[in-house]
Amino acid sequence: MRKYREIARTYLKTQLAWRADVLFNMVFTVGRILFAYLLWKVIFAEKDTIGGFTFHGMLSYYIISSFFTQLEMSHGISEEMAARIRNGTFSKYIVIPVNVEGYFAAMESGVVLFYLFFDFAAAFIWIFLFGIEFTLVKDGMIIACALAMVLLGMFFMVQLNFFLGILTFKYEEINTFLMIKNNLIALVTGSIVPLALFPDTIVSFMRFLPFYYVTYLPSMLLTGKCAGEAVRGIIVISCWCIVMQAAIRIAWKRYVRRFDGVGI
Amino acid sequence: MRKNINVIKELVRLRFQHLMMFRIGFFGPFFVDGSLFVVQLMVFSAVYANVERIGGWEHGQMILYIGTFSLINAINMVVYFFGVNSIPAKIKSGEMDLYLTKPVSPLLRLSLEHINPGSLPLILMSLVIIVYGAWEAELRIETGIVLSYLFWVVLMCILYYEMEIIFRSISFFLISTAKMEQLESACLELCMQLPGTVFYGVYKVVFYCILPYGIMATVPVKSLVGECTPATVLHALAVVGIFTGITCVLWRGGIRCYNSASS
Repeated sequence: MRKYREIARTYLKTQLAWRADVLFNMVFTVGRILFAYLLWKVIFAEKDTIGGFTFHGMLSYYIISSFFTQLEMSHGISEEMAARIRNGTFSKYIVIPVNVEGYFAAMESGVVLFYLFFDFAAAFIWIFLFGIEFTLVKDGMIIACALAMVLLGMFFMVQLNFFLGILTFKYEEINTFLMIKNNLIALVTGSIVPLALFPDTIVSFMRFLPFYYVTYLPSMLLTGKCAGEAVRGIIVISCWCIVMQAAIRIAWKRYVRRFDGVGI
Repeated sequence: MRKNINVIKELVRLRFQHLMMFRIGFFGPFFVDGSLFVVQLMVFSAVYANVERIGGWEHGQMILYIGTFSLINAINMVVYFFGVNSIPAKIKSGEMDLYLTKPVSPLLRLSLEHINPGSLPLILMSLVIIVYGAWEAELRIETGIVLSYLFWVVLMCILYYEMEIIFRSISFFLISTAKMEQLESACLELCMQLPGTVFYGVYKVVFYCILPYGIMATVPVKSLVGECTPATVLHALAVVGIFTGITCVLWRGGIRCYNSASS
């Protein structure tokens, strides 16, 4: 465990080298909030509630979900793996005495810990700048459930991206697929619009998928909605983590031996 | 002119030869951007299931907006995006020397040497979205309206191109422009999702005049649905004219400032 803590600490420190990136990352979180503000301000001018949201409830949802979306940076894992497998330098991770998936999970947690404070600060700034009457649930149990779900959701995304990275051993070129995946993930995690706006049949189907629990349900829970789904959500996302771990184990065993370390 | 046409023909031929060598990912840009616009359609279908109008536009007009943005983006991807996008790297590495010393316009060659036929299906997909939008909005299609729409699409493609050149010409003056490109993509993403009709106040000034991504698909759609006022026409023509001037000044200034490798 100590070595993974060291990896996380190293990546946390590494972030300090790119201070301008941190600042710009904070500034660019405004894109999603501005989109929501402009779109929903026009829509709510004619209606008081939409899909169970008031204007400020909707913006609170976007503040929370964009905070989580901003923290979820695991897409870098699959991109890093794909690039290194293609150019033959993935050996760097194979030769060190750590579990490769653990290495990437520790790396991700170091980066997330670093950005946690800055993204939190950015969320505060946007709340004041846009004059949002922020809605946050007061029930401690619901908050705990939402945070647990976010952690599990982030872990699932690390697993998913690690799994996709492994597929590079077999398919060699997966960058196009990764970009398509990023577009779809933005939709199914509810970071563009709340999934509550979709028809009930689609939402019911999405409840079986893990993405529903990555940012959408935690954000809804924290804005005081869908409380009845909290415990079930934790169980479902935990099950998905177990399934994904099994898939990783099988894929790793099968495909890692294809790596010749010379690049394509 | 004839020389330039011959150069363009040769660039297209070379590009096809290159693409035949690297067939993997030939249709990559189509699938990536196609998925982006399909997601857009799904998002606005979900929103319109709960509201009737957004900024005065009904569902059909919004589909037309998405289709038009997709069409402008598709033309950009097919013709000049990959060429223009490589400008900062060429300035940084000094590779720009090769373009300046050739007896052909460096910007012409840079813009057209990486045409991407793999994105052609994206144009077809955009046209399908536009036809669907026109059907949904129950538009009466007349030749004059279609010609005016095509005129605005071509003009907005030019504006799109100029914005890309402006952002990338900054590389002549600064060491890194990664953040400028991030700003460009953030603005594009925002305006791809929001029609110009929802902007007001300071946002309207920013996205109509300073970073005019807000008018790129809005004006063609307005012309198609008959909402194009003389003020809109004058404003759009003025913006394109001013940005053409800015692009020329920046590019020429940049070339003068260029000191080969490490500039």
